[in-house]
Amino acid sequence: MSKVKSKRIGFRIDMTPMVDVAFLLLTFFMLTTKFRPPETVQIDLPSSHAEQKVPESNILTVSVSGDNRYYMGVSSQHSRERIFERVIQPKLETAGMSVSAVADSLQQFRLAESFRVRKNELSHFVTAARVANQRVRPVVKADNEADFEAVNYVLKLFKESNILTFNLVTVFEKEVH
Amino acid sequence: MGLVDSPNGEQRGRRAKRKRKRLGFHIDMTPMVDVAFLLLTFFMLTTTFSKANTMEINIPPESSEIKIAETNVMTFRIVQDGYVYWSIGEATPKKIRLYDEEGAMSLGKEVRRMLSQQTRANSKLVIVVKISDKAKYKYLVDLIDEFNIMKIDRFSLDDFTDADADAVGIVSEFENSLTDLG
Repeated sequence: MSKVKSKRIGFRIDMTPMVDVAFLLLTFFMLTTKFRPPETVQIDLPSSHAEQKVPESNILTVSVSGDNRYYMGVSSQHSRERIFERVIQPKLETAGMSVSAVADSLQQFRLAESFRVRKNELSHFVTAARVANQRVRPVVKADNEADFEAVNYVLKLFKESNILTFNLVTVFEKEVH
Repeated sequence: MGLVDSPNGEQRGRRAKRKRKRLGFHIDMTPMVDVAFLLLTFFMLTTTFSKANTMEINIPPESSEIKIAETNVMTFRIVQDGYVYWSIGEATPKKIRLYDEEGAMSLGKEVRRMLSQQTRANSKLVIVVKISDKAKYKYLVDLIDEFNIMKIDRFSLDDFTDADADAVGIVSEFENSLTDLG
């Protein structure tokens, strides 16, 4: 049988389609890959079995670091601008900053993934974020080692501003019992 | 005017004719394909459509108040050193460890057993969780996670007041006196 068949010596396959697909995928992954931006503060998240994901957009993240400091982040740049106009700009102006300097810090603030907030100012910022975008989804991202008191402050603040549904960010725990 | 002539066009033409025509030539594309696949695998493996997991929390509004019989209320007090003082109604709190070992991922066996026993015994049971200010945030997440796994949805968070500190203090003092006697 095999003798009937002509022996295939040095046969070639046209690899062009395969290479085309490979390059297409390569370009896709190269263009869509967004390296994670360096975080303002390292937060060691607690683990849980919750499988729900963080909402896609309109997120307001309140982070509590291990040393009980507060950080806030808003996902949309538009909201960031509004927060700046509402809370930070008046402060800078009363401090006597020039118009160009204010515009400069607005530029910087617009690109900030998250920023440090003092405990007593947190409620101002949360209100400003909610005014800027009514459909904002609050998310609490607290460190494992943060004191309950610090986190409870945020929870109470949410309760006072009538935010009754929010999410706690955790990492998925694989171990099952 | 306007005509640009190459300096030695004729010569060139002759040279081109001399050259062999490249029909059906091949380039070995193997190295290029190798590199392409290498990069492709790299980006495919490093790309994580990463989305952090979250736990949804619903808290009741400030003004809402529901009356529950005392015997259906379990008070679950967590203090900073990882001990739990739990009691039903006005009974004396019992002390157990929250974790089996230091740095464990989830709650200890004893707490889990107690929770499932109590909720099975009384389906109307409402668990009021009070966490001391000095306690860690991890305790809260682990506890809510456990509740979610056990499908306990009748629980609420409350402030850890001085009265709670006293209740816990009495138990630990009692224990200390026991060890002193022993």
